[in-house]
Amino acid sequence: MAVSKLMTLKEAVSKFIKDGDTIYYGGFQIMVPMAITHEIIRQKKRDLTTVESSTDVGGLDLLVGGGCVKEIHSAWIMNWYVKAVYAVRRAFQAKTTKRYDVSNFGATSALMAGFLGVPFLPVHGNIGADMLKYNPTDLTVIKDPFSGKEITAVRAWRADVAIIHAQVADKLGNVMSWGTRGVTDEFGAMGAKRGVIVTAEEIVEPEVIRADPDRTVVPYFKTLAVVHCPWGAHPSACRGYYGLDIRFSQYQGKYERDPELLPKFMDEWVFGCEDHAAFIKKYVQKFGQESLDRLKPKLGYKPKFQVDYGFHDPGVWKGVPQFTDEYIKA
Amino acid sequence: MHATNYKLTELMVVRCAKEINDNEVVFAGVGLPLVVVSFAMATHAPNMILFTEGGSIRATAPPGLAITVDDPALFCNGDATFGMLSTMAALQRGEVDVGFIGGAQIDKYGNINSTGVGDWSKPETFTYFAGSGGANDMATCSKRVLAIMPQDPKKFVEKVDYLTTPGFLDGPGARQRLGMIGGGPTVVVSTMGVYRFDEKTCEMYLAEYYPGQSVEKVKANCSFDLTVSPDVTETTPPTEEEITILRNIDPTGFYLG
Repeated sequence: MAVSKLMTLKEAVSKFIKDGDTIYYGGFQIMVPMAITHEIIRQKKRDLTTVESSTDVGGLDLLVGGGCVKEIHSAWIMNWYVKAVYAVRRAFQAKTTKRYDVSNFGATSALMAGFLGVPFLPVHGNIGADMLKYNPTDLTVIKDPFSGKEITAVRAWRADVAIIHAQVADKLGNVMSWGTRGVTDEFGAMGAKRGVIVTAEEIVEPEVIRADPDRTVVPYFKTLAVVHCPWGAHPSACRGYYGLDIRFSQYQGKYERDPELLPKFMDEWVFGCEDHAAFIKKYVQKFGQESLDRLKPKLGYKPKFQVDYGFHDPGVWKGVPQFTDEYIKA
Repeated sequence: MHATNYKLTELMVVRCAKEINDNEVVFAGVGLPLVVVSFAMATHAPNMILFTEGGSIRATAPPGLAITVDDPALFCNGDATFGMLSTMAALQRGEVDVGFIGGAQIDKYGNINSTGVGDWSKPETFTYFAGSGGANDMATCSKRVLAIMPQDPKKFVEKVDYLTTPGFLDGPGARQRLGMIGGGPTVVVSTMGVYRFDEKTCEMYLAEYYPGQSVEKVKANCSFDLTVSPDVTETTPPTEEEITILRNIDPTGFYLG
């Protein structure tokens, strides 16, 4: 079933994200799907609901500032480098975007429940806190059917589509990532009903991924679209490829802060760029190749033990008589 | 030899690190906690085990300064690189000694707000910050909680605007009634001093004030009626050696200024 799912960012978003969809927003403080975020804004997708545990560098803030988001289910939203998410703050105040807060493990458990295909999971946190009071959509208190004690239950989150950035993918849609098991990406992505859109730094042959399947976070059957997209998480970091662009996150944050200024950022960096390659080209024009070069990571942290998956051929037993001794009756 | 030239943040980090014991499992949130744990591991707590929400489990300090809880540095030569599910599950299993968090507001029972200020039910009045992140889970489940907060009358308040992270809630017995598995807050380190909690009343009291501060100055920067320990002392300043080690951890002053 060797169908190539390689396509442009534009095709992937227009084909697979519909107005009103629930989106699993991948990444955490690093590996934020920024290129896909920009494309969703460019295509003016509307009334999206996002589910994720925590997200940084203002990616979700831009998506809200772009008018794309109706509801956010999350534990933590930030552009840590300006210590706020201003567009989210304004949208909440203006009641154009609703927020449904839970704790990080509440969010992880909600995604895990979606991954497991069960309606909810019990969690220790949230009880006694205002999340429980203000977010009855996602949280409630139930009785443990075995002990009778009270415990928080969190509703399963299942996105329609997951958007993630990864280091490596193949054309079939196998996604390989390393350094952490994708934070909650493996559950958020696998729980998605229709599937996953992935941007990747590198595209490799399927044999490369199949030679090390432990590192596969999303297998091809869940993947809708694969986009080759170097710097796709910028300004957040991509493990092994580039570090966090603190200066650009701060620069972007200063635009997020001011409702009058944010459209100028959108015009220049989102609508003014045909795709992510154009965004990076603009970055180099404006801030110099040396700024991009500054993001090079310290490498050399490679496995020291070469694993071999190996297998055994049971055919070697063909014709070999049963082992026996005097205690075993024929 | 005590250092004479150090920044307030440096004093805070060094003082805070002393609340971590060797061999403990410490779950560190984003921001200053990440520097504090690196400092503790480099000094008196070499056998501390670091957990982060990003999925890092490590017995050694990261090779570079970690800015985020899923920072690539946390996974270079880490002991295990799981995801958020695996590290936070250890909280629920009761395996974490210290939950180490920050926040925007704290009350006398150690309840913390990191969600926002205003009245949440009237959105136009509510200024959002970040949200719970893992703070709520850490505070619910860790054996004890260590909090680091800037001292400000708007931050040390009678009642938090939004209760994101449970301290002792409304007083003695409240955590137990809700079945919380963790012990609650034990120490708050601010930019002016150090607080502990009374075992009977569950209320915060001032245990130490920093050099150059006083009980009166701390009280003036706290909006609730602050209890002061009869044994309140001035905090011992950091040593020259401690400051040198700390500055090597954050050579560009990302955290320390």
